[in-house]
Amino acid sequence: MDKKVYIRSIASISPQKTFGDMMSTDELLEYAGDKFTCVEPDYSKIFDPKLIRRMSRIIKMGAATAIECLHKSGVKMPDAILTGTAYGCLEDTSVFLTKLIENREDMLTPTAFIQSTHNTVGAQIALILKCHNYNNTFVHRGFSFESALLDAMLLLNENENTNVLAGAVDEITNNSHRILSRFGLYKHHASNRDLLLSNSKGTMAGEGASFFSLTNQSSPENIAQLVAMATFYKPLDIEETEKNIVYFLEDMSTDMNDIDLVILGKNGDQKGDKVYDHLSHSIFKNRETIGYKHLCGEYPTATAFAVWLASTILQNKMVPGFVGVEKNGSPIKKILIYNHYERIHHSLFLLSA
Amino acid sequence: MSDLKKQIIVQLNLKDLKPEDIGDDQPLFVEGLGLDSIDALELIVLLQQEYKIKLSNADDGPKVFQSVRTMAQYIKAHQAQKE
Repeated sequence: MDKKVYIRSIASISPQKTFGDMMSTDELLEYAGDKFTCVEPDYSKIFDPKLIRRMSRIIKMGAATAIECLHKSGVKMPDAILTGTAYGCLEDTSVFLTKLIENREDMLTPTAFIQSTHNTVGAQIALILKCHNYNNTFVHRGFSFESALLDAMLLLNENENTNVLAGAVDEITNNSHRILSRFGLYKHHASNRDLLLSNSKGTMAGEGASFFSLTNQSSPENIAQLVAMATFYKPLDIEETEKNIVYFLEDMSTDMNDIDLVILGKNGDQKGDKVYDHLSHSIFKNRETIGYKHLCGEYPTATAFAVWLASTILQNKMVPGFVGVEKNGSPIKKILIYNHYERIHHSLFLLSA
Repeated sequence: MSDLKKQIIVQLNLKDLKPEDIGDDQPLFVEGLGLDSIDALELIVLLQQEYKIKLSNADDGPKVFQSVRTMAQYIKAHQAQKE
């Protein structure tokens, strides 16, 4: 990429207090059981009440985060809105399908149908902003956020003075959680405080919305630079993963010793965590590493929260207290994020101050 | 009319409104309750579900959905016809 990609502002609604006035990242909010739930703001202070009545939870989470992010950036009208979501608007889909069965495919109400499509969040953001610019939603399971971000990076590389709003959102609904639980993905009686050390089968389900205002214009107001992002699919073994990480850094002319912090996608599942544990003892041996899924849980677009966390660390020049790791010593200038979803979708992000 | 108002509130998810907040003759669309074309579809479904009335002529819509009173009158007239 010829042009640099900067993060001008960030916003996130997550199971921690990460949004707006209630932002408090010192203390970890604890969750017990098998899932996390987002801490949501009072949406009546953000949206017109007439809009809210048609917005399901995921739409409110996504749109509120996008609006807050844009507000912080000072950009009034983004040149593009890019959204990643693996599951889309599940609650509305569930309402629509339930009515379809109950009413025997007759007398179906339009709202749940209209709002059940995956691109509803991106569309709602555009409607609120009255933004007629490029708008795309990416639904690629564990690469949904990465695909949205890649599109953003390509747009920023191809155009001058461009501002792009990109992010990801996914929700847990009762139905989706029940179905996913049947696959044995989650622990039964877990606690997020010791999730990353649990080393047993399964993880905790998570959800969240994170948006980023990205620009190719250099400014002291930018909070970080998104140096690079890469994905790889179903690596053969840990050695291949290791090679991919090394090549990724070499491509960016970055030495492992330049990395001040590595954020890993550990989620407490013994099968999935093997690769993280191996890397911590091999290429990341002398690097400071932290996890983040004890904050937000596991979901296909959790990497958006990881990028939010990395940006927050670079902006504040310290690791927030809720991560639960004391980071002393040299200032954090370069962060590498490595994550995999279900050992299938692997992604790498390199951010710098 | 109170029952009809309750049904409208549920169907359109007007959480902040109580039946008494909706005037009998208050316009439902634009300057009144501020409903829009999607709400019109929801109201058509409501008539079908609750009162088994199919609005066959689209031109009747603006008259029928003028206010809660016009809706109630339309429902009564339809029920009287059936009897």
